[in-house]
Amino acid sequence: MEAFFATKLDEFAKGKISRRALLETLTVAATTAYAVTPTAAAAAPASDPALKITLCNHISYNCPDFKKGADWYSKVFNLDQVAPSKIDVALPFGKRGEKPFGVTANDVPLTHLIIRTRDLNRPAEGGAARPKSQAVMEHIGYTVADFDREKVKADLKAMGVENVRDGGLYSLHMTDAYGYDVQISGVANNALTDGA
Amino acid sequence: MEKFVDRLIGQFENGQIGRREFCQTLTTAAAVFAGGLEANAAPAGKGLKMLGLNHLSYQCPDYRKARDFYSSMFGMQVTNDKGMGRANLAFGPAPDKGGNFLVVHNPGANPPKPTEAVIDHVCYTISNYDEGKVRAALKARGFDNPTGRDESRHVYDPYNYDIQIASARQENAFRREGR
Repeated sequence: MEAFFATKLDEFAKGKISRRALLETLTVAATTAYAVTPTAAAAAPASDPALKITLCNHISYNCPDFKKGADWYSKVFNLDQVAPSKIDVALPFGKRGEKPFGVTANDVPLTHLIIRTRDLNRPAEGGAARPKSQAVMEHIGYTVADFDREKVKADLKAMGVENVRDGGLYSLHMTDAYGYDVQISGVANNALTDGA
Repeated sequence: MEKFVDRLIGQFENGQIGRREFCQTLTTAAAVFAGGLEANAAPAGKGLKMLGLNHLSYQCPDYRKARDFYSSMFGMQVTNDKGMGRANLAFGPAPDKGGNFLVVHNPGANPPKPTEAVIDHVCYTISNYDEGKVRAALKARGFDNPTGRDESRHVYDPYNYDIQIASARQENAFRREGR
């Protein structure tokens, strides 16, 4: 990106492009620097609008003792625990009545964790036995406010969080109460910057 | 951004800044623009303030198969696919404004350590959920008998990973209080 700016500036300095052209070119480049490439955008076939996903609704986290798991997430992320049952509890990413970060629609609930303790060999809701999956959700990344890596790292260590370590340019990794890999970052880590 | 660039060009023209400073400043500005706003102040307590999900890291035998499934079925947008064994699949708000993404990737050289916890399924919200249209769309893709209930359906992806799609009416943390 910096090299592109330098090239355009040189063209302007040599009179090859006008000041207006320089201004427009640099403005467009700076505001779309991390935009989806046409190639990538074209790679996504059209989907049925009826199935278009708006946001993650919840993550179903299964562990030996859901209370222990939930307490870890409540402590680290200041999450309330709502609607506890004998086998699970929900931890919404916000307070009642709030909209999810970045969402304006009224029919999109807060993303939440459902932390549960259940037998995964039992059939899923109303269905047959669960087939064995060849895929695994091997870590989850969460976005937190005011992410300052060094400060957050110190805060996490002060809370007794284990295995805190840097992750790429913008994030931290750690392990939760059950050794599950958790990543945190600010909004700078996103679909356009991650893996770029 | 245009006013900022205009002012920067002016400073360059007046000799207030050099070529290097011009380029570095603009590069930084572009990165900040992409980063968006770090919204909402952190809470007073020791814990962090959760804004939302950032991403789900999904490991499978062939990321291309998962990429094609999730993008074509659920409208996720493919980004950063360099043909190197991974791709991002963006959905929801703009990427730097609260958007979520699914990272589909092949197994790495170092397999993840087994843990006592497992993410056994992920549920996604569909806005303006229409059960009839959802059932028809699923059927068109070969999912004739999704499990679950109205406005909360389960299907398995190509690697038998459990996916739930739901409306706000059926799947809402606070609604669970009425169970």
